[in-house]
This record gives sequence, C-alpha cells and structure tokens, in this order.
Amino acid sequence: MSAVKRVQQWASFARVWHLFDARWQNPFDSGVLIAKYLKGLYKPLYGAQSLCGDHVVVINCRHVALPGNEWRKRVYFHHATYPGSQTWTPAWEMHTRNPVMVMKKAVYTSMHGNLQRRHTMMRLHLFADEEIDPEIAPRISNVIKQIRPVPERLDLMPEEKVKSFPQIADLDKDYVIPELKEYPNWESKFRKMKKEGKKK
Amino acid sequence: MFRNLQVLSQIGAFAARKIGIFPSQILRPFTLSSVNRLKEIHEKREGNNLTIEGVYVDLPKSNVILEKSFNNKGVCSICALGVEVKHTDVLILSQFVRPDGLMLPRRITGLCRKQQKRIGTMVTMAHKAGLMSNLNPTYSKKDPEKRGQWKKFKSYFDESTIGKRKPPKPEWKWIWKKRNFYEKV
Ligand SMILES: [Zn+2]
Repeated sequence: MSAVKRVQQWASFARVWHLFDARWQNPFDSGVLIAKYLKGLYKPLYGAQSLCGDHVVVINCRHVALPGNEWRKRVYFHHATYPGSQTWTPAWEMHTRNPVMVMKKAVYTSMHGNLQRRHTMMRLHLFADEEIDPEIAPRISNVIKQIRPVPERLDLMPEEKVKSFPQIADLDKDYVIPELKEYPNWESKFRKMKKEGKKK
Repeated sequence: MFRNLQVLSQIGAFAARKIGIFPSQILRPFTLSSVNRLKEIHEKREGNNLTIEGVYVDLPKSNVILEKSFNNKGVCSICALGVEVKHTDVLILSQFVRPDGLMLPRRITGLCRKQQKRIGTMVTMAHKAGLMSNLNPTYSKKDPEKRGQWKKFKSYFDESTIGKRKPPKPEWKWIWKKRNFYEKV
C-alpha cells in the first residue's frame, strides 16, 4: 500500500465529531437523525462490519420540545423483574429527574436491538445545557442542521422588531382598551388547597 | 355591518322621536373609511364634577399599517393577506388579544368565523408553549420556566388539528387501572 493510499484510508475512517442543538427539537425525530450519524450511514463506504460510525455531541437536552400534551401522556415503563416492581413514569417526571434521559432513550429506541447498539451509544455525548466538556469541545468539526425552526418568544424579542412589524388586526373603532386589573390578594388555587390542608 | 348600524341608528331615532328627544342627539355619523383608531375612557374630577369621556386613540402601530389587510369589504384582514399563520407567529397573534392575553371577540376583531376559530386556538397554543408570556394577568409569574410540573417544559402544536374532533376514546384495558400509566392523579 502506497503512502497516499494509506493516508486516504486514515482519512476515510477517521471519526468525525458532530454537534446537534436539541433546543425546541422533537427528541424522537432527532433521535432518528442522530442515529444516522452515529452509525455512519451517510458515508459511501458504510458497512455493518466496518467501524465507520461518528461521535455526536448533543447540547440543550433540557430544552427539547414534545408535541401537544405528550409530556403528560407519554410514559416510560420499567420492570425490575420482581413481582409488583413495574413502574410507569410520565415523560415530564422523567425529565425533571434527569434532563438527559428522554433524549438518550429516544436515540436508543431509534436503533435496532442488536449487539452493536450499546457500543454505538457510547459514541453519543449528551449535555443538559450549552456547556460542553472542555475535552470534547475542540474536537467538534461539524454541525447537524436542526429539524424544526426555533420559535421566538415575544417577551425576549428586541423592541424595534416588535414596533416595526405592521398592524394587521383591523379592530373595531369603538373597542375600549381595558386596563390590566390588579389582584392584591390573589393566591393560586393549589396554594390555597395546600394551606387548608395544613390547618386540618 | 355598517348598514345594520345605520338601520339601528334609524330605529333609535324613531324611538327617540316617540319619547320626545331631538333625533340629532342620537344619530351618529358612520364612516366607511379605514378604521385605525381605538377608544379610551378618561375620567376627570374637578371638585364635585366628574366628567367621563371616550377619546379615540391611535393604534399602537398606526404608523405602520399593512394597507392590504385594511379596507376590504366582505373579506377579513387575515383572509385578505393570504398568509398561513402559525402558532409561532406571535407578532400577528398578539394583535388580536387583550393586554392580559385573552382573545378578543369576533365583533371587535372583525374576522370571519373560520379565521376567528383558527386565531383563537393558535393564541391558546402560543400561550401553552410560553411564547407570549408577557401578555398575561398581573398575578402571572410571566416566565414560562417557573410554571409547575409538565407546564414548564417546551411543547409545540400542530395547526392541522384545529377544528377537528378528538379521536374516540380507546377501549378500556385492565392495565390502565395502574397509577401513573397516563398521568399522576
Ligand atoms: Zn376571513
């Protein structure tokens, strides 16, 4: 093997480090996307036996978005093999305990359950927030495009943008602009219930 | 709408004549020109005299008006635009709500029945996703990340589900008796 060919071999089998920002992304859609890079399916030299998978660094796992009411409705099942030890945990509870777990399980379930899956998962690096491990950060050389556009919050928008946006609503002329009511002794329903419970 | 108002005012004048009030006090001019002003009520107290007057105020953005969505006879402002609004377009949705974030009724927004339903649902979606948290009642914490339980996490919505029926309830299964299967009670 000539020196050029040898370098070509190194270059083609070198592991690339990808970055994926999970902010406002559906973890189950992005899990399929991430698995493609983890296994190296996008490479022309891909083979199931050849080790051509890449590393993927996922940041902002805490800020993933689920559609509709799925935070309540999606449940994670676990069974510790003892009778009666089965648990059903809603996604929002899982996410409060571990902000990385929902994303991790989404990537894990998007792959087939073969012997290679656990080793492929070792190449996935998840971070709850924007901070990346200083050892990992300098290795990243590619950014995976997000699936969903990140929506902008009205309260965080710059004032100029809000003011320069044209008026579309053709409101009734005689509409009286109401003033914001003040609620001096307002208390949430749940806090009231808690207080009443304590008195008893 | 304007014709109805004129008819109403004529009826009012007729009733006034019967009672004995001069009709010019009740008849009000109705214009078909572009409506870009709103009303505000001012109270003045001078000694024992309390004067209450309704003053027309310019819209907050009356300097930048999209002419296309105004002055359309028979077509509402969203239909005239021809733009598919999504629940993330908070700059459009925030124009149809009160300062505390509630949707305005149809007689004020001037939308057609279909668009009123769509915009109203999308306002709810935007609030649930925490995109318009500054338009909330005064007792609100404003920051969506300070909400409780699942409400503090981000969620997005599908606009194609607006106005559709909910899917029928699935058949009962013994496994649903378990606590935590669907949600914590
Ligand atoms: Zn319309």
